Amino acid sequence: MTGVNFYRVRRTLGVWIPVIVLMFVVIAPFYWIFTGSIKAPQEIIQRVPTLFPQSFTLQHYDKLFSSSDFPQYLLNSTIVAALTMIVTLLLATPAAYSLYRLRFPGRDLIFKVILVTYAFPGILLLIPLYTMLTHIHLVDTLWALVIINVTFASPFAVWLMEAFFKAVPHELEEAAALDGADRATILARVMLPLIAPGLGSIAIYAFITSWTEYMFASVVIISDVNRTVPVGLAGIIGQYQVDWGLLLAGATITTLPVLMLFALVGRHFVEGLTAGAVK
Amino acid sequence: MRAKAGAFTIALIIGMLFMAWGPVSAQEDVVEIVFWHMEQPPHRVERIQQLIDEFNEAHPNIHVSQEPQNWAEIYAKAPAAVAAGNAPDLLFAIPDFTPIIRQVGAVQPVDDFVAEMDEAHGFFPSAVEPYTYDGHVWAVPLWNMAHSLWYHVDMFEEAGIEPPETWDEWLAAVEALTDEEAGVYGIGLPANRHLYTDQTVYDFMINAGAFELYNEDGTLRFDNPDTVEALDFYSQLYQYSPPDSPNWTWGEAEACFVSRTCAMILQFTVIKSYEDQGEGDPENLGVIPIPHAADLEESGTIAYPNAVMLLTDDPDKQEAAYEWLRFLLEPENYGRFLNMEPGLFLPVTEDGSEAESYWSDPLVVEYEAQIRVMLENSQNGMLFGFTGGNIFPSIAQISAQNLLAQTLQRVVIDGEAPADAVAWGQEQMIEAIEAAEE
Amino acid sequence: MRQTGKVKTMRTGWNSQALLGYLLVAPLLLWLAGTILYPLMAAINLSFQNVGIIGTGGQYIGLENYSKVLGSGKFWDAFKRSLVWVIGNGLFQTVAAFATALILKQRFSGRGIARVWVILSWIVPTVVVVIIWRWMLGTSGGIVNYLLVALGITPEPVAFFGSPNTAMISVMLINSWRWFPLMAVILLASMQNIPQELYEAAAVDGASPFQRFLNVTLPGLQPVLFVMGLVGTLWSFNVFDVIWLLTGGGPSSGTTTLPVYIYEMAFKKYRLSRAAAASVLVGLFLLLFAVLFIRFMAPKGEEEGE
Repeated sequence: MTGVNFYRVRRTLGVWIPVIVLMFVVIAPFYWIFTGSIKAPQEIIQRVPTLFPQSFTLQHYDKLFSSSDFPQYLLNSTIVAALTMIVTLLLATPAAYSLYRLRFPGRDLIFKVILVTYAFPGILLLIPLYTMLTHIHLVDTLWALVIINVTFASPFAVWLMEAFFKAVPHELEEAAALDGADRATILARVMLPLIAPGLGSIAIYAFITSWTEYMFASVVIISDVNRTVPVGLAGIIGQYQVDWGLLLAGATITTLPVLMLFALVGRHFVEGLTAGAVK
Repeated sequence: MRAKAGAFTIALIIGMLFMAWGPVSAQEDVVEIVFWHMEQPPHRVERIQQLIDEFNEAHPNIHVSQEPQNWAEIYAKAPAAVAAGNAPDLLFAIPDFTPIIRQVGAVQPVDDFVAEMDEAHGFFPSAVEPYTYDGHVWAVPLWNMAHSLWYHVDMFEEAGIEPPETWDEWLAAVEALTDEEAGVYGIGLPANRHLYTDQTVYDFMINAGAFELYNEDGTLRFDNPDTVEALDFYSQLYQYSPPDSPNWTWGEAEACFVSRTCAMILQFTVIKSYEDQGEGDPENLGVIPIPHAADLEESGTIAYPNAVMLLTDDPDKQEAAYEWLRFLLEPENYGRFLNMEPGLFLPVTEDGSEAESYWSDPLVVEYEAQIRVMLENSQNGMLFGFTGGNIFPSIAQISAQNLLAQTLQRVVIDGEAPADAVAWGQEQMIEAIEAAEE
Repeated sequence: MRQTGKVKTMRTGWNSQALLGYLLVAPLLLWLAGTILYPLMAAINLSFQNVGIIGTGGQYIGLENYSKVLGSGKFWDAFKRSLVWVIGNGLFQTVAAFATALILKQRFSGRGIARVWVILSWIVPTVVVVIIWRWMLGTSGGIVNYLLVALGITPEPVAFFGSPNTAMISVMLINSWRWFPLMAVILLASMQNIPQELYEAAAVDGASPFQRFLNVTLPGLQPVLFVMGLVGTLWSFNVFDVIWLLTGGGPSSGTTTLPVYIYEMAFKKYRLSRAAAASVLVGLFLLLFAVLFIRFMAPKGEEEGE
């Protein structure tokens, strides 16, 4: 008996407390934002904060949707993120295949060069990129953001694919080759199903990278109809005055779509990353 | 697979190129006017849109559209847009911002139009002055904003304190109202490296008699005993300000006041927040001029006349833009325009300040007493670098770097002696000006 | 090639594989060249001129910007702060990520859910992160100080952004809060990559859990740690938005790291060319760091899967 109890206590201390602390650190701020967004304005900024809402109102959401273009911002962010995701997949997957499955001179160097692109400060690129986008008439279009986001997402995405490509045994490919399949068929029939979880992970990674981008979107997008969520949200803060309820409602709504996305595919992101391991 | 991916990429790139030509617009007889402003909160945008819709309705051959921007980014975004040929036709401005855009070479003089509007509506001279230099008027004034000292009447009554007029009285009041045990701070003063801090620091400078930043010959006179006195007094009051003041902007200060955590703050207005997020009792909202040093006769305050710059050089567009501004300044519309944020934006024309459309807004009716005080305070308004009729555009470089706020931080954050900090500040300003002249 | 050599049909020749390799990696390289190399060249060009405000003209002035930047105390102060920033973030994030990965590696019911949702703070935009923390750390409605005082952890409200040092630590913690879950999940994935037999063998040899971590887990993670170390360092060095939106580089320049310094130089002091020179120097420095890091930290002889 005592042995079991001891085991339980140890297990509680060793497993559950760390898990609870961890989840608290990550999730508590979101609880605070969400409950804030349904409190009456007076309660939000009250000197003694209330851990549980004492009032309930949807007025902030009502205002958010009636007087701002938030649905438009959400749509724009979704379009940009989806396109970023597609282009990243199209660029990163072949590159990863090449870097991790084929052998050719300079391969290692190319891989390192791709990673090292992160060495250049975004701010450094901001102005020349803006000028360049102007020349090709892409300023104030969603494509401009796609172009930039793909640049930031794809190098890391290439690397995320490493584990998957390396996990596919060469024998499989060789066996298929012995059966007379050409390389394209091998890729489509043998490789693709095996790396699919990985593709899922980098798709989500690219989506999130795009969804959270702020700096470029704030400069490259001029008109309200093309604004993305982070920039739209920053606009609510406004000069001279802050409507805290509106801001918290905006923050909640900004979080919600990625939350839903993650509820649906989050498992695949994490499992996808680990799947490379399970040979 | 590989071929497909390649083809798709190419298709995508071609698609992008086509997308680029997308919004080339049609009708040639309609003059398009695009104007950027920085009043991005949704309800302000909504009010402006109402006015635009009415205007477009009445002017079938002009089409006005707004693109709200953000003050935080506009200093980078507008010059980039001008350089790249993406500039709007009209761009809102504060006095510091105009010289920057002028250096990019895009601002058109508006002397004749301002004279015409002055004739029709009577501009307050203090609103035109900060935009008048180098032989021209560079923007059309639209509204004014000025700081006042806001306080909770009942807090003063409970503590038996009269509204302060001088610095000694002010310090005593702040001391008496502070109750850190109960989480109440006598005053909320920002110490962020931010425009808001620049503004409050300048409030103190004005009320110490240090309102001139420049001598008449354009050399700096920031480093003088009055400035030192102002910073010294700021740091005395600052001790009673909440611990998070070092990263405050306007919003935090307002929240502090409205939640009754701060007994007093310096702000343009708190009316809207006080009404929506606070107790909303007009009787209990006190507003007075900012107290002044003992050796001065009366109070002054910082004031920001906001204006709009004309960037287009196309005569047709210019005329259409003027038509739109005529519409805005018409008393029946002007009040509604200003009341996009009731009780914040003050009229800059004589007939506007009496306009029914201004005074009939429900919030303005409720807080009329407070707004009258704000208007009166704004008459003693000044703006650093734009005083005494000597305007030196290099002020833009000084305010862009928030050098007043930086000087203050050396005192209240680093604990440097005010005199040393002010000397440092002047050095930085000289350097900034040299950069502008390079 | 050792093994593939056995297969005749695959060996249509070394050249064809190389050609295919280059062909597949080319679109990405071209894309990166267009969006990074071209702007980089433009920035280098700009750094030799004396352009002030964006959009105004300038003349070529040689290396003057570089000598001004290198001779400026503020640049070196920002440089030092950037080093502190990178090391601090690296420390916080590595510790938090390892702890998280180890916690989530254990078996407990609800592990699947925990593994998904631990990543929450990474999937929200920076702007939201900033809003959350500004509000939570503030005085009006701020929960953190309220709890600290109410629970008796601190005698009075903490001024999180009140001095250069506390502000630096606060911003570091907030930035780490945003990034550690991603790192943790990647580490976790990689930990599962380590064959269980290695742990069992170590256990048989009587290794303590800590020794197992040291002798099995860490070496197994080396390839991942290498890339995360490289990319993570470059990423955190270039973090701008969180710092700018939280503190604006203050108080008293306490959080003015190099990206903030560059932004200020370009858009507050209106010395675009000098900002370009500073960023080229930063880019060179990071490049040097990357080369050294790759030279000394790259996993050796890593040929598995070939």
